[in-house]
Parts: sequence; C-alpha cells; structure tokens
Amino acid sequence: MFPRAFVLLLLVAFNAGSPLGRDDERFHEELVVRPLSGDHVNTYFQFTTRWHYGEKDNLYHTQLTPRVIAELLQQFAVKELHIGLTQGLWRYETWGYPIVEATSGAEMWAWFSGFNLTNDEVDRQWKELANVFSGVLCASLNFVDNTNSIAPRHLIRPQFMPANGRKFVRYSTLPREIVCTENLTPWKKLLPCGSASGFASLLNSGHVHNTKYHSLGLKVRVLCEDHDEDNCIVELTQTANLVYDLRLFELSNNDFSLRRLFGMGLNGFCELAQSSKIYVQRNEQGERFQLVPAPMHEVKSTRGGHTVVYSVYDMHEQFKDAGERLFNVAWLSPKSENRRRNLAKPVMPPVTVHRYLLGHGQERGRIVTEVTNSHYDALPIMVQEVIPWYVHAYLHTLSIRRKPHRLNEYGRQRLPFKLLHYTPGKQRELPSHLEIGFMLPGQTSALITIDVDYLLLKWLEYPPDANHGHYIGAAIVSSQLPMGRNYTALPAEGHLFEHSFNATRPSYVLSLHTEALIVSLPTPDFSMPYNVICLACTVVALAFGPIHSVATKMIIVGRQTSAPKNFVKKIFCKIFRRGKAAEGAGETEGAPTSGATEFASTRAAARPAGGPSGDQPLLEDLDEEEEEQD
Amino acid sequence: MDSKFFKLLLLGGAVRFYFCRTPLAPMIGNRVEFATPLNSHKRMQEGIFLLQSGIDPYLGDLVHESPLILSALSGLFKNYPQFLAMFYIILDVLTAALLYAMSHRFVQQKQDQQKVERKEYAKDTAELQFNSLDKLDIPELVIVAYLFNPLTVMNCIGMTSTVLSNLFLAFFFYCLVKRLLLPSLLVLAFETVRSFYPIVLIAPLLLIFSRNSIKRGVVISLLFAVCCLGVAVANYFVLNSWNFLDGTLGFIFYFRDLQPNIGLFWYFFTEMFEHFRTMFLITFQLNATVLYLVPLTIKLRKEPLLLATVLVALMAVFRAYPSLGDVGFYLALLPLWKRCWKFMSHGFVVFTFFLVTLSMMGALWHLWIYAGSANANFYFGATLAFSTGQIFLITDLLFAHVKREFCLFNGQKILIDGEEARIVLK
Repeated sequence: MFPRAFVLLLLVAFNAGSPLGRDDERFHEELVVRPLSGDHVNTYFQFTTRWHYGEKDNLYHTQLTPRVIAELLQQFAVKELHIGLTQGLWRYETWGYPIVEATSGAEMWAWFSGFNLTNDEVDRQWKELANVFSGVLCASLNFVDNTNSIAPRHLIRPQFMPANGRKFVRYSTLPREIVCTENLTPWKKLLPCGSASGFASLLNSGHVHNTKYHSLGLKVRVLCEDHDEDNCIVELTQTANLVYDLRLFELSNNDFSLRRLFGMGLNGFCELAQSSKIYVQRNEQGERFQLVPAPMHEVKSTRGGHTVVYSVYDMHEQFKDAGERLFNVAWLSPKSENRRRNLAKPVMPPVTVHRYLLGHGQERGRIVTEVTNSHYDALPIMVQEVIPWYVHAYLHTLSIRRKPHRLNEYGRQRLPFKLLHYTPGKQRELPSHLEIGFMLPGQTSALITIDVDYLLLKWLEYPPDANHGHYIGAAIVSSQLPMGRNYTALPAEGHLFEHSFNATRPSYVLSLHTEALIVSLPTPDFSMPYNVICLACTVVALAFGPIHSVATKMIIVGRQTSAPKNFVKKIFCKIFRRGKAAEGAGETEGAPTSGATEFASTRAAARPAGGPSGDQPLLEDLDEEEEEQD
Repeated sequence: MDSKFFKLLLLGGAVRFYFCRTPLAPMIGNRVEFATPLNSHKRMQEGIFLLQSGIDPYLGDLVHESPLILSALSGLFKNYPQFLAMFYIILDVLTAALLYAMSHRFVQQKQDQQKVERKEYAKDTAELQFNSLDKLDIPELVIVAYLFNPLTVMNCIGMTSTVLSNLFLAFFFYCLVKRLLLPSLLVLAFETVRSFYPIVLIAPLLLIFSRNSIKRGVVISLLFAVCCLGVAVANYFVLNSWNFLDGTLGFIFYFRDLQPNIGLFWYFFTEMFEHFRTMFLITFQLNATVLYLVPLTIKLRKEPLLLATVLVALMAVFRAYPSLGDVGFYLALLPLWKRCWKFMSHGFVVFTFFLVTLSMMGALWHLWIYAGSANANFYFGATLAFSTGQIFLITDLLFAHVKREFCLFNGQKILIDGEEARIVLK
C-alpha cells in the first residue's frame, strides 16, 4: 500500500552530499537543539561516517569507520542494521515527532541480502549479529533469538542499495533492557575521535542519564551500485537523542545553555570531521529565546508546506582562531516571556498513538492500541505487533473500532482491514506476529483490540523479581503523511541532518512507537518444588497401591479379630498389636491358611443366609491389614 | 424407551438451555476447571478462524483440536454462531440418550448372564443380583446422572469440546454393548487420534470381540491400527500437512501448556527440575495409559464394561488436561454398577471430597489470580484433594466389585468357628 518510489530515491543517495571518491572516508558531526513545549529541550547528536570502500577486500583496512563495522560486512550478509537503546518515552502529543524513532529498551532490526541466502542461515546470522553487538555495546542483545524475533512483512522497509534482490529482515525488541552508562561508553568508542574532542565530549553519562528521555542509536547501511559489489559505500550513523526537562534544573527562569545541559562547554571539533555544525531551531518553541552568541547564519527549510528556521554554528569557523577555547551557546528568554511560556500550545501532530491493557487479574486481558488521526483527510495506517510467547493472542478477537473526534465513546462501528498478516506464536519458540493495515478516516480515532491469555510458565522461566511482570514490546504504527508538519526525520536518501532541509516529497513515511506494556503472569510458589513433586507422586501412589492389590491379591476369608468397641481401647489395642507384630508373625501366617481351609468348607457347606448387613468387612480394615503386612 | 425417557431428555435439554442464556455460560467457558487448552471453546473458535483465514492453525500452539473437527464445524461456527449453544445441547442430550440405550442393553445382558449362572450363586445374594426392576431403574439413574449432574450441565453450557468427546465415548460404549465391532473401532480410533488417552479402551474392546481367541485379537488390533492410520490420513488431507499431529498428540504427550487444571500434571511440571522433566513426563504418561491397563484387564476380563468404566475414570484423573466434563461422564456410568454399591464404603468421604474441593477451587482460584492474597499452592491443594477423592471413588468401586463377585458365589455371611469372618485381600 506504500509506494516503493523511495527505493528509486535511494539511488540519489549514492551521490548525495559531497561526492565520495574511491577509498574516501568522511566523518560529520551534527548537533540539533530544539526547544520543545512544556520546558523541554531536545538535543540530537548525529555522527555520520561514510566510506566509499570500493572492493570488499578493503574492509580489512579501516581508518575512520570502526573495525567492527567493517568486519560485520565481511562476515555477515547484512546490508542494513539499526540498533536503538532507549530509556524513557517520547511524548508525541507535546514534543512532536523525533528525528529518529526508538522504543523504550533495546530495539534492533537488520536487513540481509545475498546469494544463496536461506531463511535458516539468516536466523543463524541474526543471532550471531545480535551477539556481536551485545559485546560491542555492552547491551543484553544476546537475548535476541527466535523466541523474540519476527520477520516483518510490510512495515519495515529497506534503506540499502541495491534493494531489488532477495532480502530478509529480522526485527526484535527487548523492552526490559535498561540503558545506562555501560552502553554509552562503548558507543562513544565507535566514534573516530572517541569522547576526547568534538560533540561527543558533551555526552557525559552523568548528564545524559539525567534526562527525561535518552536514546542511543546506531545505523549501518550499505549502498552499492546495482550489480557491482566493488563499488560500495558503507554508512555508519550514530545518533544520541536526548530530551531535557528544564524544570529539573531548578532555575528561576528557563534560560539554558550548552554548559547547563551537558555540564561543560564545547572544547572544539573533532579534527577528523569534515563538518561540525550546531543547528538551533528558532521558530515555534524556539522563538521565545535569544541566542548568545548570535548565530553566524540562518537556514530556512520548507518541507511539505511546513517551514522551520534553524540558526547554524559552524565549529570549524568558530575554532578557526587558535585562542578560542570552550564554546558555549546560551538560550535566554526575555523576562516578560516567562509568564507565557506555557501558554504556547504545541501543534498536535497528525497521528498519535497509545497503548494500554484492559482487564484485571493474572488470567486474561486485552491489548488495546489507539491510533488518532487529527488530520482532516484519511490516512493509511499500518500496525505491527509482536506479542511474546508467554501471552496467547486470539486472532478471532481482533477488531478495529472507530470514533470520530466529536464523540466521546467508541461505538460498534468497525473499520475493515485492508491488510492482515499473522503468524501465530508458539510457547518457548516463536512470538505472535501481527501486521494490520487500514484506512483511518480524518478526525477519527481507531481502537485496535485483541484478547490475550497470560500463561503460567515453568518456575525457572521467571526472571528475578517475577512479580514485577513481563514486558510486551511496543507496537510500531506507520503511516504516510501528505504534509511535513512536525516531521523531522531524515529522508531515506540523505545521511546528514541538513539533507532534511527543503526535502519536500510527495509523502512522508512516519513510524511511531507505542508504549511498552507490562503484564503480570500468574506465578507459582518458587520455594517448594520438592513438596509439589512429593505430593503429586503421593496421589499417584494412592491410586497405584489399591489397584495393585486388587489386581494381584486374592480374596481370603480371615478370622474376625475381636475389635474393642471403645475408641481408647481400640487405639491401645492397635499399638499393642503393632508391637507384637514381629513376634506374632508366625501366628498371622497361620491364620489365613486355616481361613482358606475354612473358606473351602464354607463353600461346600453353603450355609443358609444370615443377616445381610452389619457384618461387612470395611475397606479401612483391609487397608490396615495391608499396612501391617508391608 | 418410555415417555419418561423423553421427558427426562427434554428436561435435561431445557435445563441446559436455561443456563446457557444466563451469564453463567461465558463464565464457565472461561473457567480452567472446565476449559482446558485442549477443549476450550475460545481455542476452537480461534482454530476455525485461522483455518478460514488460510493460516495453518497448528503453526502456533493455541489450537489442539483435530483438523477434521475444525473443518466439520467451521461452517456452523461461521454462519450460525447463534445456534452453537443449541448444537452443543443437542449433542449432550444425544450422549445421554446413547448412555440410556447402552445401560438398558447392559442390564439385559447382565440378567441373561445371571439366568445361566444362577445355580452357582449363594442363596442370600438376591440383593446382589440384577432384578427385574433394574432394567428400568439403572438406565434411568444413568440418564439422570448424566443430564442433571451439574458438572455435565456446566460442561455443556461452557461449550467445551469435551461435549464431543463424551458423545464419542458414549457411542463407543453403546457399540461395545451392542457388539458392533467396526463402528466402535472407528470411533475409538477417531478419539485416540484426537485426544490420545482413549487408546486404553482398546482393552475392553479386545476382551469383548476377541472372545478368547488370540488370533482374532491380533486381527482386531491390526484393524484398530489401520483405523487410526486412516483417521490420521483423513486429518492430513484437511490441511495437507502433518503439523496437526504435533499440535494434538504431541501437545498432549509433551504437556507444553502449564495452564492450571484439575489434574496432577500442571503444578508438577511447573515446579519440575528441568533435567528430570523427561523422565517424569514419561512416568506420568505411562501412569495415565499402560500402567493399570494390563493388571486391570487381567483382573476384570469377565467384566469388560467395568474395565472400560474404570479406565475412563482413571483417564479423567490422570490425563494431562482433564476437565470436569470428563469427570461428569464417568460419574454417569457409576449407576451401571448399582449392585456393587452395597460394598462401596467411601461414598460419604468421596462426596464430601467432591463438594468441598469443587467449591474451594473457585474461591482459591480467585484468591490466587485476582485478589493476589493466595498463591498457586492453595489451588494446587484443592486439585490434589479432588484427584484424591476421585481415586478413592475408583478404588472403592474396584474393591466393591471384587467383594460382590466373591459374595455372589459364597454368600454374604461366612462363619469361621461360629464367628463371623472378614474378607481380606491377600
């Protein structure tokens, strides 16, 4: 349902920006600062390395590109790789759309393409790839395997070239992953200048992890000329997307500066960088600030009918003179503006998403994904859900209900599916994978619901702190916007932030992540495996014993032991008998034989009927007898 | 077949019809005691939906119904969902009717047998013999026990596929009593491929039809194997894939879904140490199938129907995913052994066990899953006690039968040296 036109656009990408000669390696660093509504500031770092490596053999000799990335292309048939490590939730309603999308926790997807590549081979490579980056980024990506990976059918599209051969894609999220310092440090080590100089020196873990939202990203893609493996570019983009909450700085006003945000000013640029620029958004929420020092020049970008003004600081110019040290930019708001700062309402983005769980208890529930279209026209919407194996989803309960904005409640009106792809999940093996596509009318919300059952797992399958709950990863909602409002993502063919300036296209592919969910599965008692095994086996033995004796023993008539009627005497008698059991063994041996003879005689005699009841041998007695004999 | 029979059937149907329109019905359909992963209505719906959407239902592990059933019912589920409840009620009433016809015939056979053996019976044993009234009483008791047992009623309104299993089993019993070899083989093969455990019922079938000839027994066994194969192949052609074997039989054997139920498996294998799992899996499956099969077959070779009853009951206790619908079915067979009741001494204990544990289950489940104030052990305790109660009932029936046999030929009152003797198993 989405045109593949952008694949053609990728061809442009091959030569986009400054043309690369053979064996040419370029590094760019960019920083975008966007004041957001509600006293938030978004800072976005992007470090791009492009290397026209030509032949594959050249991959053994890297300069700016990290060695591990080059080896990746040697070892695996991977053509495109995305990894995101995120903490926090991007608020679409107030912050608009981010420049790069990410979901809370770890997210990873990769495209594979090559000759003679089979599905199994891709599965194997995918697992190894995850293990490699588990080590490179110190993240738990080694938990990525078939039990939490899917092969998206429609939603994730390739951005590598040539993308017309046989290709495979794998996608996985680890929503439980906690992103922290140990991920940031190795991530910074992939940069040519490390964290010593350039924009990366601003990324100090103490400040990065204080933010409301931080997301580290890594994207690798290969751009080759059609049918020419010897003419390739590898492009590595590292991004860090942070959202600061100014209120947490406890300032009287909401002025801020680079030093305030990152703890220090900028000490220069990375000497290996081709370009090193800071972009500061000046309109919308940025309008109320004054910049000190004043920017050198401004760029006006009109994209899809939406205009954004950026001020640009070029670090190469800034640090031209040898004496300059520690560059700082301050955002100052006039005093009178302070009052009104919260009045500037954010523009509602055209599509927003939410997700939540319905139902209570640990037995079953319902996953609800809500997609709101505030555009006036209908938009195509695609939703991809990965439902982990420990939750059973019932496809027949899947429904999309709609609600026009003027109404408060969802009616019975259903929206028809335009597209439905489903692979059912299997316990401990496969997640359920659902992709649906539909047209969402303008000014309408859609409520996608699916019923789920929560499973009881084996006791060793629960993570530590089992009652914390299990995560269900975020759903991805994708759409195609006809206009560029709020849209800031880079075009597929561009690799620098400046390539998004004036990049008007017929449509803009948008992809959003919903919230991740936590379900609390029923838990067993972790402390008593032995007891359970013993008790269950006892019950089995309860059946086995009597059935065994019914099947193997013969009926014998024995002498009625004169049991005392008194309860106390009965017990006394029992104890006494048990004590005598050993010495009286011969006696008990003798009794049945006489009984048996008697039995023969009674049979022969066939005496007249006596009282039919009252003298029934009780089963309890029989059981006791057995016990004694055992 | 008198008017009373039809009245009872109608009344049974009416009871079910009334309850299936109350909010009780969806609640029962979601209760773990009735709806297991194997028989739940929701999973059947899912299977039929996937089948109709062109997705192999056995790729996932939600659907464990056999493909033949899925495709047979898919038209009904799709086009007339409002008549589904009616359909299940009719099937359940049909089961009752089959049980009635079966027990009628069974009593008649017993009476014929008695006529031959009468001379050997001891004199004071009139009350242990089937009398002329039993021909009316016992079938009536059976049908009442099936139609008005709350367990079967709730099983029916919960629309579990145990209703189908019960129908097939009732038909199997009917064929056994009527001495119809081929239909009984076919229905048994179908049930076996569907839910594995009924394979044990081949023993009573062999006892009845082989008539002490080993050659005939071998032929029947082979015939059974061929029937199973035929059913499997027929299932294969529904989807043109063998995936269903792993989805039905494999799922049962390997016990992949640990959802709580009334059986012994779920908590045992939840708490199992992983390296012992295979061993205990095999042990428990053996326990549910062949462990009691041979000894009981030898012991009860003269009473194939009792053997079948006991095997069905043991199956309901020890199978991997038992439900209360299975329990309701074998409880309805107990009136066939009305003449053994005299020797059944655990009646009160078992009844109390059933009453207490069944009412505790709901409460403890709520405490564990919804209130969070109890844990899994509580519910496990209730299911364990329920299983124990059932086991008491089964062993009691067996002991009672053995004693009745003995007393029938030796009289009820036996004196040794002028003292009353007691009967002992040794």
